[in-house]
Amino acid sequence: MKKTLALVLVLMMAMTSVAFAEDISLRVWVGDNNDEEWINGVIENFKAAYPDNNYTIEVGIVSEGDCSKNVLSDPEAAADVFTFADDQFNSLYNAGALQEVVIDPETIIEANADGAVAAATGTDGNLYAYPATADNGYFMFYSKEYFTEEDVQSLDKMLEVAAAAGKKVGFPLSNGWYIYSFFKGAGLDMHINEDGVTNTCNWNATDTEITGVQVVEALLAIAQNPGFINADSDPFVAGVKDGSIIAGVSGTWNANVAQEAWGDNYAAVKLPTFTVGDKQVQMSSFAGYKLVGVNPHSEFVGDAMDFAAFMTNEESQLSRFELRSQGPANKAAAASEAVQAAPAIAALASQAAYATVQRVADPYWTPAATLGEIIANNNPDGTDLQTMLDNTVAGITAAALQ
Amino acid sequence: MTRAEHVNKPSRKKIVRLTIRHVVLALFAAFWLIPILWLVLNAFSVDKGPNLSHFFPQAFTLDHFRNILLPGGDSVNQFPRWFMNTLIVGCFNCLISSAFVLMVAYAMSCMRFKARKPMMNVAIILNLFPGFLSMIAVYFILKEFGLTNSLTGLVIVYSAGSGLGYLIAKGFFDTISKSLREAAWIEGANEFTVFWKIILPLAKPIIVYTVINAFLAPWMDFVMASLMLNSGVSAQKTVALGLFAMVDKVNRNNYFGEFCAGGVIVSIPISILFVIMQKFYVEGITGGSVKG
Amino acid sequence: MSMMQQTKARGRSSGLTRAFSSVGEFFAGTAEAFRKGDIWTRLSALVCGAGFMARGQIVKGILKTLVEALVIYLIPSFIVPNLSKFGTLGTVVAQKSFDPVTRKNVWNDYDNSFLILLFSVMSLVLIIVAVVLWMKNMRAAYQVQRTQERGKHVNSFRDDLDDLLGKRFHITLLSLPTLGVVLLIIIPLIVMILIAFTNYDHDHLPPNALFTWVGLKNFRNLFNMSPESSFGYSFAKVLSWTLVWAVMATFTCFILGILMAMFINNRNTMGKRFWRTCFMVTMAVPQFVSLLLVRNFFANQGIVNTLCKNIGLTDWLFNIGAIPTANYIPFLTNPAWARPMILLINIWVGIPYQMLIATGILMNIPADLTEAARIDGANAWQSFWHITMPYIMFVMGPSLVNSVVGNINNFNVIYLLSHDVYVTQNQLMANANASEVDLLITWLFGLTQDRQNYKMASVIGILVFVVCAIITLVAFNRMIKGDKEESFQ
Repeated sequence: MKKTLALVLVLMMAMTSVAFAEDISLRVWVGDNNDEEWINGVIENFKAAYPDNNYTIEVGIVSEGDCSKNVLSDPEAAADVFTFADDQFNSLYNAGALQEVVIDPETIIEANADGAVAAATGTDGNLYAYPATADNGYFMFYSKEYFTEEDVQSLDKMLEVAAAAGKKVGFPLSNGWYIYSFFKGAGLDMHINEDGVTNTCNWNATDTEITGVQVVEALLAIAQNPGFINADSDPFVAGVKDGSIIAGVSGTWNANVAQEAWGDNYAAVKLPTFTVGDKQVQMSSFAGYKLVGVNPHSEFVGDAMDFAAFMTNEESQLSRFELRSQGPANKAAAASEAVQAAPAIAALASQAAYATVQRVADPYWTPAATLGEIIANNNPDGTDLQTMLDNTVAGITAAALQ
Repeated sequence: MTRAEHVNKPSRKKIVRLTIRHVVLALFAAFWLIPILWLVLNAFSVDKGPNLSHFFPQAFTLDHFRNILLPGGDSVNQFPRWFMNTLIVGCFNCLISSAFVLMVAYAMSCMRFKARKPMMNVAIILNLFPGFLSMIAVYFILKEFGLTNSLTGLVIVYSAGSGLGYLIAKGFFDTISKSLREAAWIEGANEFTVFWKIILPLAKPIIVYTVINAFLAPWMDFVMASLMLNSGVSAQKTVALGLFAMVDKVNRNNYFGEFCAGGVIVSIPISILFVIMQKFYVEGITGGSVKG
Repeated sequence: MSMMQQTKARGRSSGLTRAFSSVGEFFAGTAEAFRKGDIWTRLSALVCGAGFMARGQIVKGILKTLVEALVIYLIPSFIVPNLSKFGTLGTVVAQKSFDPVTRKNVWNDYDNSFLILLFSVMSLVLIIVAVVLWMKNMRAAYQVQRTQERGKHVNSFRDDLDDLLGKRFHITLLSLPTLGVVLLIIIPLIVMILIAFTNYDHDHLPPNALFTWVGLKNFRNLFNMSPESSFGYSFAKVLSWTLVWAVMATFTCFILGILMAMFINNRNTMGKRFWRTCFMVTMAVPQFVSLLLVRNFFANQGIVNTLCKNIGLTDWLFNIGAIPTANYIPFLTNPAWARPMILLINIWVGIPYQMLIATGILMNIPADLTEAARIDGANAWQSFWHITMPYIMFVMGPSLVNSVVGNINNFNVIYLLSHDVYVTQNQLMANANASEVDLLITWLFGLTQDRQNYKMASVIGILVFVVCAIITLVAFNRMIKGDKEESFQ
């Protein structure tokens, strides 16, 4: 069946490539519906830039965080072009679900920030995705009504202020992506192995300057602070809107919400320091990128690459910033005045010094989230903290599939 | 005499017991209705997200209903398209599934043939397997026929295996007296005539039961639908899929009102169906489950 | 033949022996057709329609031959290419290269393990069906020969069609539904059962990679008890909660539904219709809407929590140590709270339906039964316990077993209430992608969706079947004595 299909394809190609314009249909997945205005604009521009071809481009919505799940459930049925957060790069790359960028990769490598290009490069050294944004990281939003610039340097001070005001500082504790910032800040490590499917993690270390148990103790204290609330993106937005949350850790995707709710008091800053034992430690973070991938099973893989390159070029990244406040990975776009002036982007940039590039294998997420959930619930079973960390590390470092 | 007095002058004790009875009922009813009330309130509320601080919204509006019935190009809200998709799938599934269920039930209940017992046993065994253990294979079978991301494929998914759900209908047919069929045979009717002219008209309650269940299946299911409709294109979704996406992490704070309005709108045809069919529906289940 | 006689001699034999003997009879019949058939009957073994055409059944003969031709055509084009790779599930890995001229990817002729597995199963089913049909055909051809030899009327095509609406009406009725079940239930099930014996997972995803047979490795994996691979631990936990859930969910709804129906139908209750409608309203809202609604209703930052906080309930609970933080009551996020809450919400969703059925049954209870009991001086409790309950159990008993099995597989309630909301606090379960509120079925779903771990999902699916089968067997053996369906007619 495959053979005949290939033959037919070859014949069709031979016929069509001769002269006349081809009907080319592409499907593109973007992260959420707020991206639609932007992508529709990009599509219009794309059609205008390639007037010789007759394009039909359909837009589908698939969350950037769940993209690999949706692609891997049937790579042949996935969109021709899809957007995903860079933590899924390995999973997609290992499954062969990413088309190597073979049309003009040098331009893309040159135009985008080095980190972004590194995040889109496979273990064979070739480029497999198009950097789209450089803002897949997190930082601290706060309302100037309650906090001074001095206050937001330290988490302890922030919690104190919030508690005094009867308000909350939000942090998504039951989420592996965020809880990493405390451990990494304290000098403990977690990163992906060469094989691309397992992790190395020393959160349970006892011989480091700050031990894992000390970090958990610090987190337990933070979680029990009356000024603290364990709030993922969705309750964070709700809390910001109804005024109960006056500061919180989140990313650029919530910048518009916070700006609307707090108006002139809206501000953003790098993550604060927190107390471990008797030391003040700067919180670390994941720095990440959003990437655009092309499906190798796409019927029009060349055109899909053209479109992916177009939707991540300087102009498209700038318009994405204007419509969605998302920070560009394109060097020229990032250098533009408007981008430089945005508080969220500035906060992200100042956090960058403490951030690590996100390269994580799948088994990390669930055990890390569970660790956060236990801490948020003040260790209800009274598990010995070292045992707790040992279990977490066992899960994080387990073979990709048990 | 004494009895009449008793009715005229209910004792104090009895009044107290009556009051308690009704207060308890009212409490239960409130427990059942409050979430539904919250649904309706949210549908009319000015808030876009769920009401978090006040049970009753500060102001009422019809915006959510307007948005959901007359959406623009917003892909999160394509309710009329979803409604039409689901309606089409529901109607076809209704036709095919009901036909399958009644056909199998008649064959198993009223006819005797060698493969009958083995087939019934196989059906019992198949019903014990968790349905969506096999859904990935179902997906790939339909993909080979090019039926994924199509309403036809969805109809096939819902209706193909429906013959297995024949037990309740068979139980109902079992209760129909055999003498009726025998009388028809004596008059020269064949099995088809007996099925069509004698059994089906008597089986109204179970037909209603089967039809309602088959019609509602695509309105309730989102697992199979999410697997079959994986293009990510909003206009192809069913109501369940679409509304589910409205309250996911990303959209909940902006679309909860629309979700509630959609829920209210979907409930209207279902309630009408139930009110009209209630009598038959109950007879269908209870009659059928005599033999389960 | 001798087998048949033996069976008869032994009188009532077990179902299994009966099944074997009827298969034996089937083979014997085919052999007999060979031995005693004339040239045309024997020729039917090669050209299926021969025997029929020879006796004037032209259309029937042509149709049968056409079906045969189709099967023969499929042997080289479908059956052999797939079955020949069944042992390895494919060896050619997908490779592509981009052709800059056509701007398309050119793929090699690669193997897709999943499709090989699927098509092999289809081929096997096809072969079995074809052999059975072929044997049936032999017997039928011999039958026609006999009929003609005896000088009786040989059915015309018209007669055959009439038969399909008459004494062979069951074939008309059952063929389409059976085809549907075989194609979309049985074949997929066999495929997914076979996957339990392969390494089909995240690292072996077709079409870009191949998977292959690994024997019983996945089953052994399930009973592996180290913290890194806590499938065995999680399985025990999830299984016990699944059973508790299934029994609790079924019986709470069942008993409370009956009590509620009786309470409302009591002659002292005024406005029966009104009360009934109050409860029915929840049935009108589709289940996924009401469940997603309730999940937001009881969310950590939801309306109920706001109200509880305002009246001081949250603080009080925190002070007595019932909740871990003073910010909210973790209705659906803490195992101690979430399990009872889910049961409660299930009652909320399930009772109206139960009540509707119970009302119907209560109305059908013969009035003279209860009346007689009253005259005998039975109080309300006694009459409920000795008359109403036995009657309801008689009617509902079998469906109760079905609903236990249904609740074991009750995906919607658990998934809609816990997905994206519940984060497990049990580290060993987290390492196996399970949580305290997961049923086997939701765990299975999560493994396929989040981790593409199809092999373990398949193992769990098989175990779900085993659990359901045991429950059904035990329950039905105790509840139903013999087959009474004839006595009702």
